[in-house]
Amino acid sequence: MARASRLDSRFDTALFAACLFLAIVVHGLPDRLREPLARGMRQTVLVPLVALQHNAGLSRAAWLSHESIARVEDSVSLQGMRNLALESENERLRRVLGLGGKLRWGFVPAEALHSGAVGDEYTLTLSAGATSGVRPFSPVVAPDGLVGMVQTVDPRMSIAIIWTHPDFRVSARAADRSAFGIVQAHQGSGSDRYLLELRGVPVRNQIRKGTLIVSSGLGGVYPEGIPIGTIVDTLRSDGYARKYLLRPSVMPSDVLSVMILQPQRAAGGVEPVWATTVAAADSVARASAAADSMAAARAAGVPGRPIVAAQSVVPTAGAPNATAPDAPPAGRAAAGAVIVNPDSAAAAARARALRRARRDSLHADSLRRAPRDSTPRARADTGRRAPSDSARRDTARPAPPSPTQR
Amino acid sequence: MTWRSLRAILAFVILVVLHYTLRPVLEWRTSIDFLLIALLLASVRMRPGAAAVLGFTMGLVADSLSVGAFGATLAMTVVGFSASWLRAVVFAENLVLHAAFFFAGKWLFDIIFLLVERRVKGLDLVFQLLIWSPLTAIVTALAGLLALIVMRPMLDARTG
Repeated sequence: MARASRLDSRFDTALFAACLFLAIVVHGLPDRLREPLARGMRQTVLVPLVALQHNAGLSRAAWLSHESIARVEDSVSLQGMRNLALESENERLRRVLGLGGKLRWGFVPAEALHSGAVGDEYTLTLSAGATSGVRPFSPVVAPDGLVGMVQTVDPRMSIAIIWTHPDFRVSARAADRSAFGIVQAHQGSGSDRYLLELRGVPVRNQIRKGTLIVSSGLGGVYPEGIPIGTIVDTLRSDGYARKYLLRPSVMPSDVLSVMILQPQRAAGGVEPVWATTVAAADSVARASAAADSMAAARAAGVPGRPIVAAQSVVPTAGAPNATAPDAPPAGRAAAGAVIVNPDSAAAAARARALRRARRDSLHADSLRRAPRDSTPRARADTGRRAPSDSARRDTARPAPPSPTQR
Repeated sequence: MTWRSLRAILAFVILVVLHYTLRPVLEWRTSIDFLLIALLLASVRMRPGAAAVLGFTMGLVADSLSVGAFGATLAMTVVGFSASWLRAVVFAENLVLHAAFFFAGKWLFDIIFLLVERRVKGLDLVFQLLIWSPLTAIVTALAGLLALIVMRPMLDARTG
């Protein structure tokens, strides 16, 4: 037993010595002999391992390339986000520049800083002060309309209240001069928080949804014609006055760059600056009214009315102004509904009517007014639209006391 | 050939495959030497002579698949024979002893390989032998322990 063990041990040692000798020999081989030996093994018995190693290398390369692609994708999307931000800023600055170009003189451009602190949500800090010509009670406007009024002026900065301020008041009128009233913050909560109210509208004056409300210039602080908001709903009337809910033209969170109107510029009037906006809103409101009256006529079963309405409304709906940003969704939808009226006469007749409407586009306005004026209520509306009368009535009506109407 | 031997061979093959699939993907500075773990685990189940032959063969394979001198052949022959000779210690079913065994085997392999290959010299060689080789040996020992735990049903000498 012990002898066998000794033999085994000697055999192991001999085997180890042989392997060691061979290893030394292999190690000592010159390159020209060693490389063919290695290549021969790689091309025969080691083919599966070579394939495994090769595939692993490919996997790693793919993983690394995926990582680098992901890195590139990340940086591209980051760049894309930056581009979007730059595009948005560019658009905003272009609009401010456009406003500056329309105002031409008597304004101070300023950056608006939102402090975000509790109690400061109704104010804006402006980067221009007395040294730039800013005075207290100067109107603050943005390309979309009225923002607020300068309240405190320091040499290099000023603080303005915005329309969300509980003390904010502005004398206002409908863009078509059909009604006058006072606009103030709605003081609602939730989704109604950032809305405005038009108060003090005589009960005989009804304003349609989608009507643009602009400053009337009667208060002496805000010049006439600055867009304030669009009628979105009617509130409960109190006594002999109506109240309306307005969607503001300018949202406070969007205000980053503003123009402060200097007193002499405010006195000079700014009505032409927003004339395009007002005209667009007016045409959309009229298209909406025409659509409403056509729908009413259809409901009443008057034959032939849809086609007449289509003739008159199509040119207005197709006009560039009809797609203005102030256009209320309901108005736009209504105008579209007129064009694709499913209840109208045969398609051929409608096509003929459309062609005729385009041909007669010069007379579109008079055609559009025809159905509205045919009702007694519409006639009363038309009669009420005399601007001088409205202005006189509003001026005669004592305005509610307000700190901003000084 | 018993069922136990078959399972040990399977574990050996898995480790060899891991060496040529997982290691190139990881490409760590202190990479895991699955080939050496396989050699050590196989050697302790063989006679020293057979372990030397296995080491020699595995070294030849490793050298054929890498660029440079045939240093691994010599190193693996020595490590395989030594591991088999020390099997009485390793069969103590103690994880710490196993870890020490893997660590010593890998470090011994690196020492022989680096000295024989003579590619790294001077201060670099000292750094390699005293810092990087022990670190690689630690990583290999940890991987060996993990492999031992995962493959215990395959490698356990007591189970049939």
